[in-house]
Amino acid sequence: MILSFAPSALAGYLVVSGLLLTIGIIGFLVRRNLIVMFLCTELMFQGAAIAFVAVGRYLLDYSGQVMVIFILTVAAAEAALALALVVLLHRQKDTLDADAYGELKE
Amino acid sequence: MDLLLPYIACLTLALTIYAALRPAPPTVQVAMVVIGVAATGWLLGIITGSLASFGEVSHGVFFVLFSLCAVAAAIRMITHERPIYSALHFVLVVIATAGLLLMLEAEFMAFALIIVYAGAILITYMFVLMLANQAENPDEPYTQAIYDRVPREPAAAVAIGFLLLCLISGTVIGGTPDLQTNANSQSQWIVLEELPVQFKTNVKILSPDFAWPPITENETMIQFGMDGAFIVSQDGEVLQLDTSVLPTNTQMVGWSLVNDFPVTIELAGVILLMAMFGAAVLARRAIELTEREKRIAILGEDTEEAGGDA
Repeated sequence: MILSFAPSALAGYLVVSGLLLTIGIIGFLVRRNLIVMFLCTELMFQGAAIAFVAVGRYLLDYSGQVMVIFILTVAAAEAALALALVVLLHRQKDTLDADAYGELKE
Repeated sequence: MDLLLPYIACLTLALTIYAALRPAPPTVQVAMVVIGVAATGWLLGIITGSLASFGEVSHGVFFVLFSLCAVAAAIRMITHERPIYSALHFVLVVIATAGLLLMLEAEFMAFALIIVYAGAILITYMFVLMLANQAENPDEPYTQAIYDRVPREPAAAVAIGFLLLCLISGTVIGGTPDLQTNANSQSQWIVLEELPVQFKTNVKILSPDFAWPPITENETMIQFGMDGAFIVSQDGEVLQLDTSVLPTNTQMVGWSLVNDFPVTIELAGVILLMAMFGAAVLARRAIELTEREKRIAILGEDTEEAGGDA
């Protein structure tokens, strides 16, 4: 049950979580499809989850895993609301292009 | 030069993602993903040093496999022009993440992640994608809409991502060598004044004479040596513990959840409830009914015609 967990291993996990977060941010900025943009936020949540559990494992603290439960909660709530909004927008203009809703900012 | 190597790996990865974002034939995109995976492996190799730093070599091999899988699927997810395939690649990311959590001894969260993400959230996304994502041109059902094929400002986005990646890896490289290794301290992974009651019962079954509570030393009750776990009673009796009586990961997470975060879990419930109400209110479509249709809906029959017959 007890394996050693060296700081370099922690560094590896943190870099993987940083990679997922970065790719998620790039995807959110680059994609123009509303649904895929929200999918990219879920990718960022994955990165955060790995970081929480890795640091919790290093500090031998279970709070890191409990945080993942809350991340799941927020992700589920976000998915429900965001997808309801997307369905609403799609009814108005019949497109998923984020640029088509540019007049919302005026 | 050694200091620059991680940043060169980050730059390679960023350029690969930029190249993969441009519209290109599938073979070119797959090749870009392969180069990106190689750059990721190089970056991980620079940062972790060797596979042996994971305690066991097999652990390191699984770590590399799962992380490369996650990164490859993530790159493919943001570059694929068909949204359905993006969602499917995200499932792969979730499964790889669950593998990484298993490596971190978080079994409960690993399987909860698969059930909730791959089972529930992704199905919702798939529903909406298939509901909303019809081909623009019915004559060519396999071409995607223009907003799925042409990215928005890929150069600026990749530049921001590259800076962020450099910041993260630089911080990790600069910060982690100062940390201590936990392996030498024979582990306080189970730090418990508050063991589950079941544990006491198990100990009583193993040794009825055990003087409860055991000695706590630096808040550690269960000690780990090379030959397994043991606890020490007040009388000095040493009790060897079978791993089956130790509290499992699920028990410990549940304990931490209700003991350390009692208000937060209530708030999480409220958030989910409000999300449910919000989604129902947003997706509701107001239907305009005429007087006659309302009467039919309420009474179940058309009273006007019935009256005319009589």
